Amino acid sequence: MIRLYLTRYAILFLVLASSVAMAQQVVTGKVTSGDDGSAIPGVNIVEKGTSNGTVTDVDGSYKVTVGSGATLIFSFVGYVSQEIVVGTQSTISISLTPDVTALSEVVVIGYGEVNRRDATGAVASVKSEAFNRGIIASPEQLIQGKTAGVQITSSSGEPGAGVNLRIRGTSSVRGGNNPLFVVDGIPLSSDDTTPGGSDFGRGGSSAKNPLNFLNPNDIESIDILKDASATAIYGSRGANGVVIITTKGGKGKKQTLEYSSTVSVSQQAKYYDVLDANTFVSEWSKLNPGVNPSTINYGANTDWQKEINRTAVSQNHNFSYSNSYKTGNYRASVSYDDQVGIIKNSGLKRLTGRLNLNQNFLQDKLKFTAQTLFSRVNDQAAPITNTAGFEGDLIGSSIIYNPTIPATPTNYIGNSSNMYSTDIANPLSQLKYYKDGTETNRELINLSLGYDITKELNFKINTGFDRSHSLRASATSGLQSKIANVNGNGKAFMTDQKNANDLVEAFFNYNKKIGDNPLTLLLGYSYQSFDVKGRSANAANFGTQTNMDWMIQDLKDADKAVRDFIPQNWNQYEYDRTGFMRVYDLFSNPPAKTYYTSNLPFINPRGVTGTRYSYKDELQSFFARGNYNVGEKYFFTASVRADGSTRFGSNNKYGIFPSGAVKYRMSDESFVPEIFDELAVRVGYGITGNQSIGHNLYTTRQQWSTVGLNNDGSLSNTGTGPNDGAGLNTVTYGNPDLQWEQTGQLNIGVDYGFFGSRINGSIDFYNKNTTKLLMQVMSAQPAPTPFVWRNLDANVINSGIELTVNGVVADKKDFGLNLGFNVAYNKNKVKNYDGSPLPTGAINGQGLSNSYAQRIANNQSLFTYYVRNWTGFGADGLNTGGDEQQYVGKSAIPKVNAGFSLSLRVYKFDLAAYMYGQFGQYVYNNLANAYFTKGSIAGARNVTPDVLSTNESKANSPDVSTRFLEKGDFVRMQNLSVGYSTTLKDFFVNKVRLSVTGQNLFVITNYSGRDPEVNVDKSLDGIPSLGIDYTSYPRARTVSFSLNATF
Amino acid sequence: MVSCTDLGVKETDSFVITTESGEFLGVDAAGTLSSAYNEMNWQNTQENLYALNEATTDEQFIPTRGTDWGDNGVWRDLARHAWTGAHTFNYKAWNYLNANVYRANQILHPKTTKTAQQEAEAKFIRAYNMFWILDLWRQIPFREADQGPAVLPSVKSGQEAFDFIVADLTSALPNLPATAVGNIGAQNKASKASANYLLAKLYLNKHIYLGGDAQSADMDKVIGYVTAIEADGYKLQDGFFGIFGPSGDNETIFWANGQYEPRIWGSLHYNQGRETYNTGGGWNGFATTADFYAKFEGPADNNAPGAGQEERRGFVPANSLGVGFLVGTQGGPDGVVKARSGSPLVFTKDVPALTGQPDYTGVRLLKWHPGVKLNRGKDNEKDSATINMAGQGLNHLVLMRYADALLMKAEALFRKGDAGQGLILVNQLRVIRKATPLASLTADVVLDERARELYLEGWRRNDMVRFGKFNAKFAFVDNTDASRNIFPIPDNALGSNPNLKPTDGY
Repeated sequence: MIRLYLTRYAILFLVLASSVAMAQQVVTGKVTSGDDGSAIPGVNIVEKGTSNGTVTDVDGSYKVTVGSGATLIFSFVGYVSQEIVVGTQSTISISLTPDVTALSEVVVIGYGEVNRRDATGAVASVKSEAFNRGIIASPEQLIQGKTAGVQITSSSGEPGAGVNLRIRGTSSVRGGNNPLFVVDGIPLSSDDTTPGGSDFGRGGSSAKNPLNFLNPNDIESIDILKDASATAIYGSRGANGVVIITTKGGKGKKQTLEYSSTVSVSQQAKYYDVLDANTFVSEWSKLNPGVNPSTINYGANTDWQKEINRTAVSQNHNFSYSNSYKTGNYRASVSYDDQVGIIKNSGLKRLTGRLNLNQNFLQDKLKFTAQTLFSRVNDQAAPITNTAGFEGDLIGSSIIYNPTIPATPTNYIGNSSNMYSTDIANPLSQLKYYKDGTETNRELINLSLGYDITKELNFKINTGFDRSHSLRASATSGLQSKIANVNGNGKAFMTDQKNANDLVEAFFNYNKKIGDNPLTLLLGYSYQSFDVKGRSANAANFGTQTNMDWMIQDLKDADKAVRDFIPQNWNQYEYDRTGFMRVYDLFSNPPAKTYYTSNLPFINPRGVTGTRYSYKDELQSFFARGNYNVGEKYFFTASVRADGSTRFGSNNKYGIFPSGAVKYRMSDESFVPEIFDELAVRVGYGITGNQSIGHNLYTTRQQWSTVGLNNDGSLSNTGTGPNDGAGLNTVTYGNPDLQWEQTGQLNIGVDYGFFGSRINGSIDFYNKNTTKLLMQVMSAQPAPTPFVWRNLDANVINSGIELTVNGVVADKKDFGLNLGFNVAYNKNKVKNYDGSPLPTGAINGQGLSNSYAQRIANNQSLFTYYVRNWTGFGADGLNTGGDEQQYVGKSAIPKVNAGFSLSLRVYKFDLAAYMYGQFGQYVYNNLANAYFTKGSIAGARNVTPDVLSTNESKANSPDVSTRFLEKGDFVRMQNLSVGYSTTLKDFFVNKVRLSVTGQNLFVITNYSGRDPEVNVDKSLDGIPSLGIDYTSYPRARTVSFSLNATF
Repeated sequence: MVSCTDLGVKETDSFVITTESGEFLGVDAAGTLSSAYNEMNWQNTQENLYALNEATTDEQFIPTRGTDWGDNGVWRDLARHAWTGAHTFNYKAWNYLNANVYRANQILHPKTTKTAQQEAEAKFIRAYNMFWILDLWRQIPFREADQGPAVLPSVKSGQEAFDFIVADLTSALPNLPATAVGNIGAQNKASKASANYLLAKLYLNKHIYLGGDAQSADMDKVIGYVTAIEADGYKLQDGFFGIFGPSGDNETIFWANGQYEPRIWGSLHYNQGRETYNTGGGWNGFATTADFYAKFEGPADNNAPGAGQEERRGFVPANSLGVGFLVGTQGGPDGVVKARSGSPLVFTKDVPALTGQPDYTGVRLLKWHPGVKLNRGKDNEKDSATINMAGQGLNHLVLMRYADALLMKAEALFRKGDAGQGLILVNQLRVIRKATPLASLTADVVLDERARELYLEGWRRNDMVRFGKFNAKFAFVDNTDASRNIFPIPDNALGSNPNLKPTDGY
């Protein structure tokens, strides 16, 4: 700082001393960093009031020709900009001060970026330095807990599990509540790129997180557009907010080779404290008096949770090489991740390669940018599902399985045919006889070309290609115990899916000063297509084959043999073990079924079926935005986007989404106390849309109903008559009046900064009103489908407050301390809905068929609980409180989300800590409901000790009630990282950083389950649920050791 | 700027049958008929229509047994006659039945190319589904295939509804095939016999739907339609339990595609059938009342083979899974089957309450046996040739059967005052079932004979309503309100179509 002041005074002195002004003059110099004196390449140098300027080269040097009386503005991301009056100087070398406050950062707002000081909308930006550390599977985890009003919930602790990201509450009543993700300018498709798993009798599972293909280490920043004035530029996809991911380029790096490596050790954070074998037997005996315990006691003492779990050692390696030069820069990176799951047979391996290139031509008038990513992700999944029945999936069975049974994957006692007396599937048998792998290749390529037509007008063409190819194959052996429809038969399943998402955009940018006031205009066109093609195949009747790789290969061979045999235009086929084949054609008129009999050349006779699917959607858009500011005091933004989508019929193909915002920066006004360096009020309003519904719901369509296979490989539809086999079923009940769901959002925000902006932040109030809700409601019968998509005449209102405070407590050379805090309150309500309440939140388990725990209803919050009011056990040990489900005034939506961060720097050591919490939500403990009751232990299923202390009768029915509804409040110590960085002179390594990071170190909560932050998909009839805990993949506690080296 | 695309879509895995301008293009008749027939398989579940027709009667109920069969109270509500318009089976049955009516309408629409037989089959399917809608709710919503979701279906009720169904069937009859007796491969499709059977059912129940007493002319219709079935060769089959297996017989008129696993396992104890048929064992759900069990001939407390009971009550052998009414100690290949507690499994006749029940209360019913075929007419032998593990591939869920037609004819004769002729028919059946012939016919006797012959076949509620016994006190039912004789229009159906009227009493 001192040096800076001296420089300033020196310059001032020189300016004053000079009396001669020249018409043109050449200025050269070098720009260095204030913290370590190193050269900064890529610094923008502009002659104030003109578009004349240059950038520094690799050595930080520059040369610029300026007019008389010129002032040069030096700016670079992460540093405080400086203005220097040139005067008569021919050499100006300056040192830029690193910026410790957030207000000067650049935020990406879609089709451009803006200085935070000038931003009119509610936009949060998280830079890579502030990302969560440790082992990270997907980008959302980088910013978990970092920003107010952004709730990020992993559906489970599985590597690569789906993530539920809600910005400012939930506004739609269906699956389409995720924000739009934009990666380097390419809006990603909301379609799943990996197929969900096959139901082998254990229940369904969800698809993996589609963002897993990105290497978190490549990400430069994640910007979150929260309010409608910011998201309206994305129109129909902006209603749930927009998350813009920007990857790292080579700017500012000179021939820098970086290597980083992380090795992590993960262990399950919490186990259910179930009974040991002795207690299990004695408690069982108490409930089954007079019965010899030998019927359930097999002598061992097995901890089944430990048997399926492991200490997982994961690793991650990143290489990158960056370089920048006068006309461009590039960064190339390669990464390898091996994330080992804490549940055996689960994990994620990822290999990525990226090249980001910026090249300028024609004296920087023509700019070419390429961002290319190739990634390969291999997922391995254990048999864990969302909707397991009484037999349990892997997780469920590991909790309740009889602890006296020895830890072997067999169902038999010795070699005899004497089976263990249990209804539950042996956990080790589930591990041993199940295989499920998904291999996904994905390419994301963005090429853009920008040209400065004049100094004010720029034209840019942007093309994006997002291609993924995913192959999921799974098999389960007939030796697997106790799973209905598998035992003794064995099944295999595969899905091969290709997604193609193509983008073409063209837009003009116009920058003009009107007087001193800059005006920016954007006018553009965008076309994007989403193409999904896939096929799946099933085979059954593998007997007791145990080689599951062989089973999968056999399925693939059989599927190929059939496909080679039948005509090209097949839509479905079914082939039974005798060689009888029925093929369903597509687009023959009339739609034809053809029969064949042929023993195809694959060896073991079994039944095979295949299905193909494909559909394509398009989105065409026109958009415009204008920014204008008057005297750096009044800022205006207006935008409009017209989106046309193939998801809507000709009556409503196009939707128009306008927005406007005003900001009044009053820090310089005399009535504002001196203490404020920054004080601004923002008001914005916009209308955004949502179109995340299925393909073509406006025409009525038929499809061949799914072909079916019996367990023994015979076809479930017999016969060769015209009415035999699968039929044509109507799959959509076309509603030509379907139109865009609309969300109007008002945002009022205040940005503040005082004590030299050492304390800064913002407060935002918002009100989101979602109307014309797109959802499926019951058809008025008779109708071809039970549900029909409509725009529901109801409102979902989300309103709330967000507060962000950042404090720079100290910023000395050898000591720095920053504190950050964010908190958000959200209130959610359904209004003006006069239809029947919609049940959701399906509850699974023994005796829980047809059970559900939540309802969508008028004047209630979304995901409000609708359960029996349980008041304890009566003298007979049965439930009291009545048999009527009712609203109990509790919802699964958190009222308050909060995050706290601390970063400390002492000499060469640094420490970063992040905590976050959610408050006010209730979790329905489906797991306890299904498993932890007297009836369970009486039936020789293991339970937690608290079950024993009640007077519940073993004959009591665990109906869905407040008994299993718990407060979900928690605070999680998510990230604690300690690092040591040093710079080495005259050594082949320049910079080294070593760090240790702990993730999920502890959770403070009263919730009785493993973790209150849980969201198992329990949707019912297409209505999503929230906050229901069942047999989800447990969370890990992880310690990571990292090395970063710069060469 | 110029648009790149007109945003039109070309479907590549489905067939557009109604354009976005609302024009109905017709459907493929054969493909749509296939799915209409296949959809009959939803009757194989223990839920929905089956539950409404059976688990509400003195023949079947499901008590909550510890952690099992609580199922959000759906079974308790049925057993107590405490259902509301929100009951999930009520609205699922409504949806299924009406959806099949719509399928038929798609075929019957002039835009659909079809043969005379296909048209007749579609009319039969429409009539069958509408019959149940009339029987359960008395209001039949109607929508043509070319009407989109914005159109609210009109509602038929009373005489109009009845006449509509009859007209469908009578106009279908000439073009339906006269499927031969025993041709099981064709009996899952419409035939003259199945249309005649349904017409007989309609006229037998006509006075229930339209009010008043049974009319002689209607009873003559019933007799006429059953006579037509007989003219096609349908007759009684010797060997009661053999009818409920995978092969053909003289009695089956119509059966549903789909597998009857729930009929096998729904009632059996967890440990029954395990060693021989299905390692998963039974589901331990449905039980019957002691009163229902008492309707059969035979010693009250002994259902061992040859104990003197009538054939239809079945028997419980010492060393294998029994058939019919499973009461008392249950045997298996390894000797006595064990209850969950480890002690021998003894099914008691009494179920003291609907909740808090142990695993052994209540007599169980098994009509579709996993080890069939049982040798026809021989009590104690099992034909081991046709053992199937879990009931998969067993595709003979009987929906219409000649014995029912015969009893309808007997009832019609009785109702028009000719009890003597009716008695002759009832005794014809009793003789072949090896039960003692009866001396006289009363209303109660007719109803009880139907109970003994047709249990688990989905007719008990319909029969009890017709004989005025449904809105009475029995088993766990206290509610004697006549509103219970029909089900309420589902809440969300009322919400979706204001043309439907809320059902009285709900």
